[in-house]
Amino acid sequence: MGEGRVMEQVLKLRNLKVVFPTDYGLIRAVEGVDLDIYHRECVALVGESGSGKSVTSQAVMRLLDSPPALIRVDTLEFAGQDLTQLTEQQMQEIRGKEMAMIFQDAMTSLNPVMTVGKQIDEVYRRHYGDSKQAAREKTVKNLELIGIPEPKERANAFPHQLSGGMRQRVLLAMAFACMPKLIIADEPTTALDVTIQAQVLKTLRGMQRGCGTSLLLVTHDLSVVASTADRVYVMYAGKIVEKAPVKDLFTAPHHPYTVGLMAAVPRLSDEKKKFTQIPGTVPSPIDKPSGCYFHPRCTYATERCRREMPRLTPMGPDREVRCFHPLSVGRNGHD
Amino acid sequence: MKLSYVIKRVLYSLFVFAVVITLNFFIPRIGVADPAERYYPPQGNMSDIEYEIVKQLTREQYGFHVSTWQQYLNYLKGLARGDLGTSFRPGSPKVMDLITERLPWTLVLSVSTMLIGLIVGVLFGVVAAVKRGRWQDTLLLNASTVMVALPSFFIALILSFYLGFEWEIFPAYTDSTMVSEFAWTWEGISRVARNAALPVMSMMVGSIISYAQGTRNAVIAVTNEDFVLTARAKGLKTSTIRYKHILRNSLLPIVTSLGMSISGLIGGQVVIEQVFNWQGMGTLFLEANQTNDYPLMMGIMLLLSGFTIFAILVTDLIYVLLDPRVTVGDKR
Repeated sequence: MGEGRVMEQVLKLRNLKVVFPTDYGLIRAVEGVDLDIYHRECVALVGESGSGKSVTSQAVMRLLDSPPALIRVDTLEFAGQDLTQLTEQQMQEIRGKEMAMIFQDAMTSLNPVMTVGKQIDEVYRRHYGDSKQAAREKTVKNLELIGIPEPKERANAFPHQLSGGMRQRVLLAMAFACMPKLIIADEPTTALDVTIQAQVLKTLRGMQRGCGTSLLLVTHDLSVVASTADRVYVMYAGKIVEKAPVKDLFTAPHHPYTVGLMAAVPRLSDEKKKFTQIPGTVPSPIDKPSGCYFHPRCTYATERCRREMPRLTPMGPDREVRCFHPLSVGRNGHD
Repeated sequence: MKLSYVIKRVLYSLFVFAVVITLNFFIPRIGVADPAERYYPPQGNMSDIEYEIVKQLTREQYGFHVSTWQQYLNYLKGLARGDLGTSFRPGSPKVMDLITERLPWTLVLSVSTMLIGLIVGVLFGVVAAVKRGRWQDTLLLNASTVMVALPSFFIALILSFYLGFEWEIFPAYTDSTMVSEFAWTWEGISRVARNAALPVMSMMVGSIISYAQGTRNAVIAVTNEDFVLTARAKGLKTSTIRYKHILRNSLLPIVTSLGMSISGLIGGQVVIEQVFNWQGMGTLFLEANQTNDYPLMMGIMLLLSGFTIFAILVTDLIYVLLDPRVTVGDKR
């Protein structure tokens, strides 16, 4: 993580706010999120479903439709370019070429009536203006690199003819096609079996290192974070609650929510212990609690937490936490 | 895999057709004991013996003098030769000739209605889907609500009253010499077009709106699919996404409804033909019905069901071409 700091910054996001107006009220999906991603770095964005992590990642690529979404952002800089100033046409030039996205469910994320090869060809044809033959050659090479056996034959297969892991690899190949500067992977392994998950993650990490790409890994799975990420942002109810290098986060989580998330990961060594979970549920995005959004579920909550929203405060090098009573080593019962 | 699917579908269709032929033969015979007696009641001062002779001659002429089973075999033999039987009409015309004489005129109406409905409807549907929630979309929604309550014969009455009688733009009633005087000249074709205008207009409103509604819903459903987001994330142009990804997937339900309506091309406009006195299959069927001309009814029914089976077969086969997921026993 220290070496990443001297590198150029790939993504700089400041104060992103996304709101969806509905008949029942405003859904405040994202409330002032800051993100920094540096060259060759893998950053994880962690949170439960409904915490706004997918919306954040789509807002970065400017893929959210507006309307319905209302989007405000102070800074959205990608590789030194101000994305907020670009037209949709200019964004299209960047998408798929300089920043790409990998989605969760490869079955629904691939067009069912088009061969997978053709869907990858499209990227080359769009961004490099390749001929059909040239694009297909690159596609086959790409599929081979990503670990698909018999790539030439597989390119002519339709998505439903491939296995789940294979389909996910196709999405990887698609994202890495133009060697983009940034890849956003939105729950890339959630739909897969655990064994396949490990393989796909390994491929993803390997490709990322090999291509010199930065990676924003959006996930709810802390074990994926531990094995893959360099730095972690923890998101809760539309806000970043903790930001830390991965090692520090796992040795000493500061936010009670992070602690709860970690305690909820089942471990083989804890077989006798009861499975723990965070009490309560994620607040409704329309009707969020006063003060700190986490206080109704927090065992350490005080009167102040009920009234006031804490700020993200620095806690040591490269760490920030949004809590009045951050936990330190030894107090959380983990280390 | 695909070839075996095609063969399977064709065999299945043939089987259904065989069942239809059999039912088509036996059902009319359940209600009528001796057609000769029914259709040739005694006339004038015919003696009993004379009447028996007439009946016997009639039976022989139409092939009723043998057992039902034998009649069935004869019917099948006739079908194999393309002979649908002989009508009870005066002059004993062949059923086949009656049908081939009327069928083109029905197709003039139904095919043009379908083509206009399909082309204009799909176009409207795509526009409404793209402009979702704006006035184009609202217009379609309201129009389709109104159409549910407006049957085509009602539209036909209004059109024939205003455009036909009041303003005399198009003939309100098909002129009786149109068919007999038809020739492949500019004159003849434009005459048919003028006469067909009102019936086609009456039917096309509903056709356009139902295709538009179907297309709109299909396009919107596909637009919300994940793979469209993937396509956008690849940086594809909006037009590429719309035509290569969305429209192709939206075609599947459209093809289905097209296949359904193809079967209605022959017999689906009995009422409209009647309103405008259009000499097509619908009027022929009504005539056959009114005169108890059951060889003719059987012939028309057979053609209808055969055509329906064929349309469903073609729809299924087109599906295989459009959607690679459709194969024998393949589950997602």
